[in-house]
Amino acid sequence: MHIRIDQIAKEFGQTTALHPVSLNVPQGALVALLGPSGSGKTTLLRILGGLEFPTAGRVMFDAIDVSAMSVQDRRAGFVFQSYALFRHMTVFDNIAYGLRARPRATRPPKADIARRVSDLLRLIQLPDIAARYPNQLSGGQRQRVALARALAIEPRLLLLDEPFGALDAQVRKELRQGLRDIHNQTGLTTIFVTHDQEEALSLADLVVVMSMGRIEQIGTPNEIRTAPSTPFVRNFIAA
Amino acid sequence: MMAALRPRRSAMPGFGITMGVTLTMLSLVVLLPIGALVIKGTAFGPEAVWEVVNRPRTWAALWLSFRLSALAALFNLVFGVLLAWVLVRYRFVGRRLFDAAVDLPFALPTAVAGIALTTLYAPNGVFGSVLAHLGWRVAYTQWGIFVALVFVGLPFVVRTVQPVLATMDRELEEASATLGASRTRTICKVILPMLMPAALTGVALALARAVGEYGSVIFIAGNIPMRTEIAPLLIVIQLEEFNYDAAAAIGLAMLAISFVLLLAINLLQVWSRRRIENA
Amino acid sequence: MPDTVPHAFARHAVSPVTERAWVRHTLIALAATGLAVLVFAPLCVVFQEALAGDWRTALANPDARSAIRLTLTVTAISVPLNAIFGITAAWAITKFEFRGKALLITLIDLPFSVSPVVAGLCLVLLFGANTGIGGWMVAHGHPIIFALPGIVLATLFITFPFVARELIPLMTEQGRTEEEAALSLGASGLRTFATVTLPNIRWALLYGVLLSNARAMGEFGAVAVVSGKIRGQTATMPITIEMLYNEYLSVAAFTLAAVLALLALVTLALKTALELRHADQLAAIGHP
Repeated sequence: MHIRIDQIAKEFGQTTALHPVSLNVPQGALVALLGPSGSGKTTLLRILGGLEFPTAGRVMFDAIDVSAMSVQDRRAGFVFQSYALFRHMTVFDNIAYGLRARPRATRPPKADIARRVSDLLRLIQLPDIAARYPNQLSGGQRQRVALARALAIEPRLLLLDEPFGALDAQVRKELRQGLRDIHNQTGLTTIFVTHDQEEALSLADLVVVMSMGRIEQIGTPNEIRTAPSTPFVRNFIAA
Repeated sequence: MMAALRPRRSAMPGFGITMGVTLTMLSLVVLLPIGALVIKGTAFGPEAVWEVVNRPRTWAALWLSFRLSALAALFNLVFGVLLAWVLVRYRFVGRRLFDAAVDLPFALPTAVAGIALTTLYAPNGVFGSVLAHLGWRVAYTQWGIFVALVFVGLPFVVRTVQPVLATMDRELEEASATLGASRTRTICKVILPMLMPAALTGVALALARAVGEYGSVIFIAGNIPMRTEIAPLLIVIQLEEFNYDAAAAIGLAMLAISFVLLLAINLLQVWSRRRIENA
Repeated sequence: MPDTVPHAFARHAVSPVTERAWVRHTLIALAATGLAVLVFAPLCVVFQEALAGDWRTALANPDARSAIRLTLTVTAISVPLNAIFGITAAWAITKFEFRGKALLITLIDLPFSVSPVVAGLCLVLLFGANTGIGGWMVAHGHPIIFALPGIVLATLFITFPFVARELIPLMTEQGRTEEEAALSLGASGLRTFATVTLPNIRWALLYGVLLSNARAMGEFGAVAVVSGKIRGQTATMPITIEMLYNEYLSVAAFTLAAVLALLALVTLALKTALELRHADQLAAIGHP
């Protein structure tokens, strides 16, 4: 799916989180929103997911204006920074949650839900953990379950907020490759937020550098590395 | 009011309905009735209200309620800190039972507490007969009111101090000891000052509860005008005589005392939070 | 200075961060005595006085029966209303940002610092037969004061903050992310509440309901003002206890008191069990 962000702005009371920003994300791209904390990258991601609503501007999914569409109808797979797994549910129930929440008419039968969950567990390479609870999983396993849960609803796009933020260096590397593989297999347009320039440059097709609620530069990792367009980008990449 | 409260559009559903239910119930159950009291008092006129409050019998009742509540709260400050200390720091048989028992005054209906305390402290009661030998009358005197108010106020200081004591960093005490302070000095100069904001919050809560207390007091008080007649009882008496204006006047005075105490509690909590953040 | 060594040892036989044994024992003894005199003695006397006479007859008395029925009715109406209020208030306050939030929380806490008698007085002044609303209701055959609705309103006023107070700190601490995750997976608001929020707050909710239930059954001051104390009709258990006690019917009074005391003990036992087993899921433990 092709995403167009058209002059999106967001204010919280007196503070401006996003000055009007515009961005085109082509179908099937893997995009990194890169910037320091407070740069507005998470706000932008939450606006795309329907968790926040912009003060001005439009969000287009293909040719449809989704700016006023509710979070439920938007069907964006969202992976939260803290994963937000439901602690009182097993891994199976977590992943099945979105399918069971569908209205009766479109809800898959039980057997299909079970099949879909085990397919996803295989996709994240954790086929045997269905009966466990979130607090029995390692950080890396939790992250992958959160990803599987987001994929279960057959999302139109995938949004990840600092997906590797809470993990140690070794696990980080493994999961990066995992995300790349899943992106290649599903072909979903994927946007992730990170403050780690190395992560953004090594993983994404397209990097969007943000600062103070503005987009500083949009480009391929190579362009960002070789031709930083502003002093901020040059410093941030060098850091 | 709803429009002023409404947040910008949010993904979280249900603001309208939950805020609607909240404000409707709050208004119907709490705000409108209190408003009715304030309006009644205003219609009655400030001079007339003051005339009722300034009557010797009203004044005596308000002063009695406030004075004995303060004394009971002070007793509970000392005993409550001691109880919290013992419950948090020491391990002994029956600790769990003691801990649960602290909440009994809160769970036991006030009327039940009232008749039980009266029976205990009456001249022919278990405690009353012993005290009578010592020439000390408790039931139907101000001492009886004091006992009842100590009972209802008991949980407050314990429950505000307990969590602070439990989470207090032992290294502070160890540091004090390594610097050569005796145990007594450490307790007086390090531990007790840190407990003070929480303890004072507990005192204020106990005081607020005691000033308005009715059920546990009226049985043991004897209810002699000018001597052992508490302010809430005076309201009940005025209502029974259909003196709604006088009842409203005394009610307003008590409401004012409540607001002052509520303000004190909030300031104490801000103060204690600030002290913790600075630490 | 060889002679200082044994002295130093003697000092450090006791850990530097606790007290000597005799101090500890004295403090424990003081606490135990205080609790025995202040709390355990009144509790024992209730059961002793009830069992001293014919408590079975006292319980079979029609007025006692009617008082028990009325108290159960009042509780059955006011506690669920309170739970609903607590949940909606906590949802509005913890899931949204709006101006005046602090004021709203203060207003919800207000009944804690108002005397029960003053609360009853307020209700009489608003709904009494000589007021506009009250007079109209009486004329249409539905009196509020000196009738069931007044008793329910008084009970609601007194127990108003209990559930909300347990839920607000807990739900603030838990944040909004799990709910946002459920919504992003397509769940409706109600479904999100039922499958995600409710399981996370159920113990705190039960805790608040328990406290509010105990207080509702035992409320005296506020109910005394609005009930009219009509025997067999508007006399709740605590009101009946007062009437019986004032008529020197000690066994009858203490029998009803013992029933309420038993309920208080059950409440305390359940509350303690909740605190021991689900401490992590109760935000603020044990505050009165």
